[in-house]
Amino acid sequence: MRLEGEFTFHAPREAVWEALLDPAVIAQAIPGAERLDRVDEDRYEGTMKVGVGPVSGRYELRVRIEEKEPPERYSMRIDGKGALGHASGTAEVELADEDGGTRMTYVSDLAIGGRIAGVGQRMLDTVARSMTQRGLESLEREIERRTSGS
Amino acid sequence: MSQRFPVRVTVNGALHEREVEPRLLLSDFLRHDLELAGTHVGCEHGVCGACTVLLDGRAVRSCLVFAVQADGAEVTTVEALAGPDDELHPLQAAFHEAHGLQCGFCTPGFLMTLIPFLAENPDPDEDTIRRAISGNLCRCTGYHNIVKAVRAAADRMGAAAHEPAEEDVRVGG
Amino acid sequence: MSGDDRADGGARSVGRDVPRNEDRLLLTGRALFVDDVEPTGTLHAAFVRSDWAHGRLRGVDVTAARAHPGVVAAWTAEDLGDYWAPGPLLVSPPPIERLEFHARTQVPLAKDKVRHVGEPIAVVIAESRYLAEDAAALVEVDVDPLPAVVDLEAGLEPGAPLVHDDLESNLSARVVQERGDWEAARAQADLLLARRLRYDRGAAAAIENRGIVAEWDARAGEMTIWDTTQAPIPIRNGLARMLGLSEGRVRVVAPFIGGGFGPKIMMFYPEEVVIPWAAMTLGRPVKWIEDRRENFFATTQERLQIHDAEIALSADGRILGVKDRFLHDVGAYDPYGLTVPINSQCTLLGPYDVPAYHSEFLAVFTNKTIVSPVRGAGRQHGVFVMERLLDLAARELGIDRVEIRRRNFLPPDAFPHDNNVIYQDFAPLVYDSGNYRPALEKAVERIGWKEWRRPEMRRGEGGRRRGIGIVNYVEGTGIGPYEGARVTVETGGRVRVVTGVGTQGQGHFTSFAQIAADALGVDPADVDVVTGDTREFHWGTGTFASRSMVVAGNAVHAAASKVREKAVERAAAELGVEEEAIELADGRAFVRGEPACGIGLGELAVKANPLRGAVRGGSEPGLEASGYFGPERGATASGVHACVVEVDTETMDVEIVRYLVVHDCGRIVNPAIVEGQIQGGVAMGIGNAFYEMLVHDESGQLLNASFMDYLLPTADVVPRIETAHFETPSPLNPLGVKGVGEAGAIPVAAAFAQALEDALAPIAPGLEIREIPLKPSRLWELVEAARARAGGEAP
Repeated sequence: MRLEGEFTFHAPREAVWEALLDPAVIAQAIPGAERLDRVDEDRYEGTMKVGVGPVSGRYELRVRIEEKEPPERYSMRIDGKGALGHASGTAEVELADEDGGTRMTYVSDLAIGGRIAGVGQRMLDTVARSMTQRGLESLEREIERRTSGS
Repeated sequence: MSQRFPVRVTVNGALHEREVEPRLLLSDFLRHDLELAGTHVGCEHGVCGACTVLLDGRAVRSCLVFAVQADGAEVTTVEALAGPDDELHPLQAAFHEAHGLQCGFCTPGFLMTLIPFLAENPDPDEDTIRRAISGNLCRCTGYHNIVKAVRAAADRMGAAAHEPAEEDVRVGG
Repeated sequence: MSGDDRADGGARSVGRDVPRNEDRLLLTGRALFVDDVEPTGTLHAAFVRSDWAHGRLRGVDVTAARAHPGVVAAWTAEDLGDYWAPGPLLVSPPPIERLEFHARTQVPLAKDKVRHVGEPIAVVIAESRYLAEDAAALVEVDVDPLPAVVDLEAGLEPGAPLVHDDLESNLSARVVQERGDWEAARAQADLLLARRLRYDRGAAAAIENRGIVAEWDARAGEMTIWDTTQAPIPIRNGLARMLGLSEGRVRVVAPFIGGGFGPKIMMFYPEEVVIPWAAMTLGRPVKWIEDRRENFFATTQERLQIHDAEIALSADGRILGVKDRFLHDVGAYDPYGLTVPINSQCTLLGPYDVPAYHSEFLAVFTNKTIVSPVRGAGRQHGVFVMERLLDLAARELGIDRVEIRRRNFLPPDAFPHDNNVIYQDFAPLVYDSGNYRPALEKAVERIGWKEWRRPEMRRGEGGRRRGIGIVNYVEGTGIGPYEGARVTVETGGRVRVVTGVGTQGQGHFTSFAQIAADALGVDPADVDVVTGDTREFHWGTGTFASRSMVVAGNAVHAAASKVREKAVERAAAELGVEEEAIELADGRAFVRGEPACGIGLGELAVKANPLRGAVRGGSEPGLEASGYFGPERGATASGVHACVVEVDTETMDVEIVRYLVVHDCGRIVNPAIVEGQIQGGVAMGIGNAFYEMLVHDESGQLLNASFMDYLLPTADVVPRIETAHFETPSPLNPLGVKGVGEAGAIPVAAAFAQALEDALAPIAPGLEIREIPLKPSRLWELVEAARARAGGEAP
């Protein structure tokens, strides 16, 4: 499953960069995320609950940040696994200044398997897109809250 | 998942009281707890229609209903269709005569879908019949003989309805 | 035995629409299906299956599952110990020269490696299915994913990931068959036409999923297994061997089966191997019922082939030769040998005179579910290729599509016709009989071929376009080796027929009853047919390849004829007349011309089993006999399918306006049942043509594993199917019957493709349908591409 898109944050690039790598912020932003811990500098682990059509379940998530070039770009190796399936692949994120804000460009390519692939496929793209959008919007709110509060 | 809830269901006229897990499907409850194995399960996700039963007179997919949801309700299954002397219901007889079944696995679901349909549409045309059964999957017959059977049943039941004191279709909740 | 003993039995019921004996049980919900079997104390199994198409199995941890409440056992491949072994090769390769074949058969539970999504890895057995599934979710499976083999061409390239590490490549088999001189035909040709044609995977999707219940009686040392199999006897023999029991101690029952269509003859499914062992090990009955999602991964499938085919013709449309090279997707294992691709290879020739034929196929292992025969069993692929080539050639040569077929038919005096290729039954493909032209002309007339050619007929409402297609096929049916039956007249006068084949809705309880009834002069309703229980009858193979009526039907006929002889002999003695004077009718034996002077069959049966006196030496007690039939080779059925489609050129939704089948399945025992087989077969063919496709992604994941996304045709899209029959009796069996179970499904895609092209020609000149299944979006793409090539004109 390939997802790509753009999103503009109304915040400076450094603030966005920092938020994107802060597990507390991410955990709040990812819909269904129940927990996200930074286990070392570039590795995160957590659990999230996702419902795709008739297939709803909890997934263990592992993320490793690779090729970090602050505050411009990084890529992630993502591995998710649960009783209902698995997802693994990569995502790339790029940040650029834009009219006083920050434009984020992202591309992810995930191989999905198990029940979620066989039964949820019809909804998978839509669910992923909507989750991404909702995630980014709440991330934006969180960043705003932080930058205005600081 | 071990917590159990009491369920009182009238199935084919007989009251059953059981304690069941909330996740127990009505289809499994009927088949395994009550040993009414005439209701068949073909897909467990509400598409094939093989598990169709009447819940308070309406056709429902028993694989999409929890047994606890049937608490207090009346359920009718295929076992209730034939008469006391094992006389086939006009719909069953029409399926038999029109060769409307082959392996017969989907047949109980078709019958239970059609009972309320014929009650509401006593004189359906072919298109209406085809639409009515378009939610039931049959892999053997190609449907044509089923359509024929429904039309024949409608004729037979319509004729019977004109006779006085005819029993009302025994089922229908 | 001769074929003319119909005369004395009187064909009272054969040939008539006798209503089915089995219907009452099925209609009232009392028919026993495997999932209805639940002996006291039954445990329930759930399988843990691979979520990956291909990967190294690093470890399987069942600790948490074992600790789960209600769980009795959780096992991996290691736990099976010496019982673990790859399954048998069901069909060894036929005797074809230079054939290459690598047998790699499925295993009970994956060890070391997983090779397709849905391959079983562990089994959990618990007090209920709900608990078993809870615990199965706790099994930790550690898989190191490997790149998957999905595409057939990529799978054969050097350096492709290997499905089986011990093989040099993913080649499962390579077979070349040829007749005549293709190169010479090519050199002579006025037209050479080469095309790539693709026919993709589909599911059999019987509404009843698979299931198995095993009960071990430790005291008796006997195992009883209820199995949704089309072949109970081979299952019994194989399981007895695996379990170390004598065959007589294993009873396999295939009760009512909710549709078979091929996959239920696959042997041995991993679950079939594991569940009986579990019952024996645990000392309690164990049950496993497949769910629909499992069915999409774990039950065998059929179809994907890619053909590169070339036809050589003279200017007047005569076929000089055909060359075909195709890739065949066998899936992760190949227990069924070469049956499906050989069917494709042989069926391609059709009813036509093809002087030169060169056919090569490469069967390829992929990381997908195993392929085994599904209704049609590869024959539809052969028909699709040949009929498409003829359609496109007709277009090139400016010859009418019907006319090009007429010009190439084998003439009626060509039979028996040896095609000089080896068929799936290991015998040369010889057509026993046939008369193709009248069937085609009948179809042309009935469908109104000429009228449909008129421009005004080709426009539907709102810019919809209509088109017509007409295709031919020949089907080898009723192959050996043999079947048997035992017929008994019971003392109450009812007749009992027992046969080894399983039944999955084909009406055997009625058609076999008709055959016995006619031989014995009783009503078919007074004949009780028992099928699929190895305790009742344990010789035979199973229901497949459109063979039950041909092979088992003739075995019933043989046994019933013997019983008839016994009844006549005894009645003659009782009534004091010559045997020639005895007539059997209405359940009685009587003196011809003197109906009052007779005796009931039941009474004769009593007398044949005396309590005093002695049974004469050399004779047998009772009115009972067994009979067997093994055809020398398959009986050739044939037919013509014609259809009219109407296409919405905006949405590319296709409606089948008319569908006509003219077919010849030899002598017909029960016309209603034959019609039913045809109608159901066509419906399945329509599904294969336009609704059903198993979609895999590049990592081998099946993306539409539910009836929400994999569409079976429904009552609102399957048209009324018109039929017309020819009866050219097969000379190869006493009843003169041919098989019909698969015929409906075989030519549908070819007819559909031709009609679509015909309908869309005005808006998409040059459109060629070279793939099946289609769907509206794909059809739209093909139309757009054709229009772009043609210079893009608005419809």
